Amino acid sequence: MSALPTDLIGLEPAIGRSPVRRAAGRLLADRWAMLGLAIVLLFFVIALGVWAGLWGGNWMASAGQRWEGPSTRHWLGTTILGQDILERVLFSTRTAFEIGLIVALASSMLGALFGALSGYFAGTLIDSAVLWLTGVLDAIPFYLFVAALAFALKGNPWAMHIAMVATFWTTTARLVRGEVIKLKELEFVEAARAIGLHPLTIIHRHILPNTFHILLVQATIVFVAAIKSEVILSFLGLGVQDGVSWGLMIAESTTEVTAGHYMNFVAASSFLFVLVMGFNLFADGLQDALDPKRSGR
Amino acid sequence: MDLLTYTLRKLIGGIPLILGVTLISFVLMVHFGPDKTYELLSKNPTAEEIAQVRSQLGYDQPFWVRYGNYLGQLASFDFGYSDSTGERVASILSRTVPISLALLAPGFVLGNLLGIVLGLVAAWHRGRWIDKAIMGFAVVGMSISFLVVIIAFQIVFGVWLGWFPVRGWNVHDFSSYLHYVTVPTLASVFVALGYNTRFFRAVLVEEMGRDHVRTARAYGAGPVTILYRNVLRNALIPIITRIMFSIPLVVISGSLLIESYFGIPGVGKATFDAITSGDQPILKSVVGLTAVLFVLILIVNDILYRAVDPRVSLK
Amino acid sequence: MIARQTRLPRAPRPTIPIAAACAALLLVLAACGDSTAPDDNLRIYRHSTDGAPSSLDPAQAATVYSNMVVVNVFDTLYRYKYLARPYEIAPNLAIGMPEVSADGLEYTFRIHPDARYSDDPAFPDGIGRAVTVGDLVYSLKRHFDPSTRSQGAWLWAGRIVGLDAWAEAGADYAEAVEGLEVIDDQTLRIRLTEPYPQLVYTLATGFSALVPQEAVAYYGREFGVRPVGSGPFRLSSFNNTLARLERNPYFQRPPLDLAEEGYDPALHDEYGLAALDGAEYPMLDRLEIHFIQENAARWSSFASGAVDNVMVPNEQVEQLLSERNPIRFRPEIAQRYHGTSGVEAGFVYAGFNMADPRYGHHPEPARNAANRALRCAVRDAFDWNARNDTFYYGIGQIFPGVIPPVVPEFDPDRVRDSVEGRVEQGRQRLAEAGWNADNLPELRYGLVSGVQQRQMYDQFRGQLIELGFPPDRIGAETFATFGDFARAMKNRKLDLFFLGWTLDYPDAQNTLQLFYGPYETPGSNNFNYRNPDFDALYEQAATLRSGPERSALYQRMNQMVIDDCVAITGLSRTRIYLWDKAVTMYPDNEILGGFFMRFVMSAP
Repeated sequence: MSALPTDLIGLEPAIGRSPVRRAAGRLLADRWAMLGLAIVLLFFVIALGVWAGLWGGNWMASAGQRWEGPSTRHWLGTTILGQDILERVLFSTRTAFEIGLIVALASSMLGALFGALSGYFAGTLIDSAVLWLTGVLDAIPFYLFVAALAFALKGNPWAMHIAMVATFWTTTARLVRGEVIKLKELEFVEAARAIGLHPLTIIHRHILPNTFHILLVQATIVFVAAIKSEVILSFLGLGVQDGVSWGLMIAESTTEVTAGHYMNFVAASSFLFVLVMGFNLFADGLQDALDPKRSGR
Repeated sequence: MDLLTYTLRKLIGGIPLILGVTLISFVLMVHFGPDKTYELLSKNPTAEEIAQVRSQLGYDQPFWVRYGNYLGQLASFDFGYSDSTGERVASILSRTVPISLALLAPGFVLGNLLGIVLGLVAAWHRGRWIDKAIMGFAVVGMSISFLVVIIAFQIVFGVWLGWFPVRGWNVHDFSSYLHYVTVPTLASVFVALGYNTRFFRAVLVEEMGRDHVRTARAYGAGPVTILYRNVLRNALIPIITRIMFSIPLVVISGSLLIESYFGIPGVGKATFDAITSGDQPILKSVVGLTAVLFVLILIVNDILYRAVDPRVSLK
Repeated sequence: MIARQTRLPRAPRPTIPIAAACAALLLVLAACGDSTAPDDNLRIYRHSTDGAPSSLDPAQAATVYSNMVVVNVFDTLYRYKYLARPYEIAPNLAIGMPEVSADGLEYTFRIHPDARYSDDPAFPDGIGRAVTVGDLVYSLKRHFDPSTRSQGAWLWAGRIVGLDAWAEAGADYAEAVEGLEVIDDQTLRIRLTEPYPQLVYTLATGFSALVPQEAVAYYGREFGVRPVGSGPFRLSSFNNTLARLERNPYFQRPPLDLAEEGYDPALHDEYGLAALDGAEYPMLDRLEIHFIQENAARWSSFASGAVDNVMVPNEQVEQLLSERNPIRFRPEIAQRYHGTSGVEAGFVYAGFNMADPRYGHHPEPARNAANRALRCAVRDAFDWNARNDTFYYGIGQIFPGVIPPVVPEFDPDRVRDSVEGRVEQGRQRLAEAGWNADNLPELRYGLVSGVQQRQMYDQFRGQLIELGFPPDRIGAETFATFGDFARAMKNRKLDLFFLGWTLDYPDAQNTLQLFYGPYETPGSNNFNYRNPDFDALYEQAATLRSGPERSALYQRMNQMVIDDCVAITGLSRTRIYLWDKAVTMYPDNEILGGFFMRFVMSAP
């Protein structure tokens, strides 16, 4: 589905609202999606607060005794080193957003760029090259690739982000490519070509904007995938090096749970679950709003 | 004959892919990979000892020579011996791959079957409460981290209930197989079900929105007939594609966590140990064979397309 | 009006699902691999340990885990007594202790004539042949053959006459080595370049195990997973989660003499060990060693009965012990299991890289003294009690210096202010020596990526900040593998590191050699400590037999290391063992290690 190009036609269609407005209307009416959005925004505010130093700054200090239970001083108890679990879990929210945003943005940009180039020049060498590259990256098992990249980059704090971006951009690129191939045949693109616009200008000004809905949906999906992958990577020791994250908290908790200390595990898992759930609900709503046939309405 | 030439052509077309995968993974894992020298040294090494070990591991040869050797090994399927234990890589693979497959197969099959069934039910009753309930569960399932599920299941089944072992693989007959494979299977089905159900439901909904299906329904055909005769076959293409493409994913990545955590001596654990210790022969073999497997699956997928829908041409 | 239904081919026949089911069944059968059905009449002992060996080749038996399996599959000349603590040498394949010449340069060993290798296709007709001292000669030579990639050669490097020259001359096995003289099939004379009192200890390590040449030739590189030896057990299967061993029917030794092995009724009566007196060993039909690295999994395997013993992970200690000092189990635990505790044969410590002039050795005496003050201040700030409480559940043994509790030369009365952890004293030292927030050097702490390592670093970092280090002056460098970490350390790129050392034998020389100048990196002296006085004492003590004169020298060397604040030492971890009451044994993970398994009696 593409938004009608209003710049060429000059005025909004007289009948009904524009598809964008209709989609927005559907989205706002979808209760579950709005709940998801609310959850995401809540977490975002938490992350902002950590950035601003309002809370979560004390995650490293050993403020209490080992393995204290929940109390008024430490709402979620403490870890083996006496660190406050609530502070840690709040700080981890910021870590999660950092990772999610960076990876989602970077992979969207890369995916958009390569997907558009590949789709516009479909069938040529550029397309084959990009297809080959995406095929190669897809063929390497994800965790092996990330592990290998993490080792190769030898403790660089961005190793994990780079590895995730390198893997996640391929799906976006493929979807954008498919969409661009369809868009290419539309009249307004032919018209632009007829005028003599440079292909890159065409891509940039006319085609890419019409892929935003795909990019947006994919970005939310990648965000979720990024924070879920971070959990497993941190558990394997390949993830976050400085600071704390939900993955590190869960990794710490694996030895504690058999001894009956569940707070670390419960806190990190719950926060993670709620945020991912919120994102999934929102992403679902977004997809349904943009492509109502999908859910069969 | 047509099929044969088609397959051959696809295989040859897959060679750049294999080259690309091997080159990238070689650069990452072998060229930049962890240095195994220091793990093989004694507690009191001398500089000569270090140089000797490095040259035995082949670290001092130029990049293209090592890459060339790798390609040669891939072509002849002979990857030599593990740097850690000295066992033949081929023997390690033949020992661990069946275990991984036996571990993951039930979860994979069940996850997909249940996903299709649930997707069918949801698609048939689209928009009603049962659809919403199934989708609700699907979203919940998608939102829980695999790791959390594994840990939780270990606690519940291993520590609290004690019904199943939480680690190990002492399998010698069918009942012990069931004994050991249950908890890992439950964990992987739990995690995969959400994604599978949503995907299959989406495909089926699209199919069921087609005119001929709506017509058949209007004519009062029952759900089973419609599903079997009209919907399933068309939907098979994306379903098969998805299943096929999730095979390499499942076999290598999926097994890694389960095997590490449940202590099952499969190929995922062996590969991960190889990564962390820099055991390059094992890494090379796993990555190379995964690339070949991927290309083969691409080809098989195309062939299956043709078997299901003759409109798809073998071009 | 009704759209014509497009004709599509019939659905695939059900043959596909059936074929899939058959494939699945075949898969299951293939996956059985080397698992065997448990036989209820067999005596089986299932041991669990917290790591896995990589190779079972004695030349690479560097870790506790490979040693554990190697000493059961192969024979060594000597072993340690089952129950005596501190550990004492006992003859194994050898008959009695060796004859030593007056100058301490010649050792004559005699071995049992009836020892045989287990049956294996490597031997002609598959029948194991008798063991001869030629095999010991071969095994020792093997360590010096570059293609073996031995990790144990350093035990005998430069000690045996002619062996190093043999290696340099091309490692031709047909050539004899002057220092390894075969007198007859059961008698060997070893000639040393200088007295080596630890020689007999080295002949009780897994490295010294006797290896048959036929098996190495037959299996080549795969010898590491197909070991063939003359030990009490024969390996029937091995992977990175489980080693399964069966009794070697050819193994013959004099029956177990409990008194000789150090039996003390007061200590050992409660375990029912008296029943073992006079028994032929090994008493097991099958031995399984489960490699379970994850604490949680190991504990639940033990709790569910899948394994018969466990070395208790720290997180469980709180729930098992009613008292920590002395260690006493809760009644419900004592009722279900046998338990004991012992100190490890090793210790953990933090160290400096003395080769860096910013805080290490410095040519200028004034600066050298100031550097020493800095190191001593850091040592003062390090809180061993906090570390003990957090990571070792308070049951580790903290001791000053580098001679750990497990060795006979340990001095329990040594003054403890080097491990007291007084930050004010540290601050004072810094102030007196002229260190302040501006001129303190930047310290890089190396660690291998892992949850506990990171937690330890966080704890130490907090203590350094309390001492007065600005937070940006302390940095961590994380390594993904131990190999990368070791490489950085051996290349002198790390300022601070936290390591553990496991002793190869119960003699303080094994820890003091960590500070011996000529062993500086890439050798075992990771501190790059260079003290000519220390080196002189070390060389002097190296040729002395155990006794008061040598112990006095050891103590002086120990004091030098403490005074120079080279390392922040140390703590020996306390191991707690629990095992099923149906098993009659007294386990040990340390020096005795795998040797105890031949004396385990398990109910069928």
